[in-house]
Amino acid sequence: MRPVLKQYLFYGFLGLSMGFVVARIGFANYDELHRMFTFSDLRMLFSFAGAVVLSMLILAPFSKKIPRQQKFFQPGTIPGSMLFGFGWAISGACPSLVFVQLGSGKLAAILTLVGIYIGVLLHKKIHARYFRWDTGSCGV
Amino acid sequence: MLEYWPWWLGAVGLAAVSVLNFFLVGRLLGVSGSWAKIVGWKDDQERAAELKSLVEDRGDIEDALLAETLAEFGESSLEDLNDEPGIDAPTQSAAKPEQHTPWTVHLVFLLSMFVGGFLAAMVSGNFKFELTLSPIHSQIFGDDWEVWLALLFGGVMVGFGTQMAGGCTSGHGLSGCARLIPASLVATATFMSSAILLSFLMEATVR
Repeated sequence: MRPVLKQYLFYGFLGLSMGFVVARIGFANYDELHRMFTFSDLRMLFSFAGAVVLSMLILAPFSKKIPRQQKFFQPGTIPGSMLFGFGWAISGACPSLVFVQLGSGKLAAILTLVGIYIGVLLHKKIHARYFRWDTGSCGV
Repeated sequence: MLEYWPWWLGAVGLAAVSVLNFFLVGRLLGVSGSWAKIVGWKDDQERAAELKSLVEDRGDIEDALLAETLAEFGESSLEDLNDEPGIDAPTQSAAKPEQHTPWTVHLVFLLSMFVGGFLAAMVSGNFKFELTLSPIHSQIFGDDWEVWLALLFGGVMVGFGTQMAGGCTSGHGLSGCARLIPASLVATATFMSSAILLSFLMEATVR
């Protein structure tokens, strides 16, 4: 099989399963998310924390094989994360959740999708022009 | 309508996706990186063309040098050069052609999430066309047009913020924290507490 075809299949499968799992946990539901952020329902928080711990345990023996993805401190780490956190609380979406929201029929999420696209594009332009620091990007 | 999964099943499912991601494609999960690749698709195409011409021009000496480097320091020595555009990047991709993931693959990844979400909604009977996001969301933001405006601006913040921070819930939160990377731990603590703070503030305005 051609390596590119394999990539399409693998990434397609991963996206499919991630979308399914995330939707069944309830992350695409703004009300569930809001209840998590206001601590009135901790179920999803436990799911997330549990997933982190489980991945940590399973991935630990392979740590030498895992490519270092340049996740280091940079001037944007804290302000960027704050901006993301506020945006998440407002739109209920992170870069993957917006697709899951759309998949469950929430047509309004199209605006979030457009917003994220504009945001990423804006950062690309502004970073090239003004910031110019080294960004470790996510799983490139 | 089916209830959502209990917390432990969600944890197992999400961990399975994260671990599978590593075993199938050799790197950790990270969605905002895919976004960057798709939005910057022109750069990606240019880089691919550049790679091709460089690979063709490259002499035997460089091949030998590369082989020596690989033998001496292992493949991880080339991984470090991953993000530097220009001379280093082609060397890395030439050594491992399958390492270059075209932007269209990332697009398939994101669109599959849409399909996954759709399947989950169908299976559980949660699928419903809606012009707003949710009852609580409408309660907070008001009329439909206010909801849409909030979503647009929230989306811009999410897009800009994740790129600026170098990761999102999956990259920093899940993958980075599972590897205990300091920057990811700080980023996750920051975006979680920001979201919690604003959610409490929004909750207060409703009452």
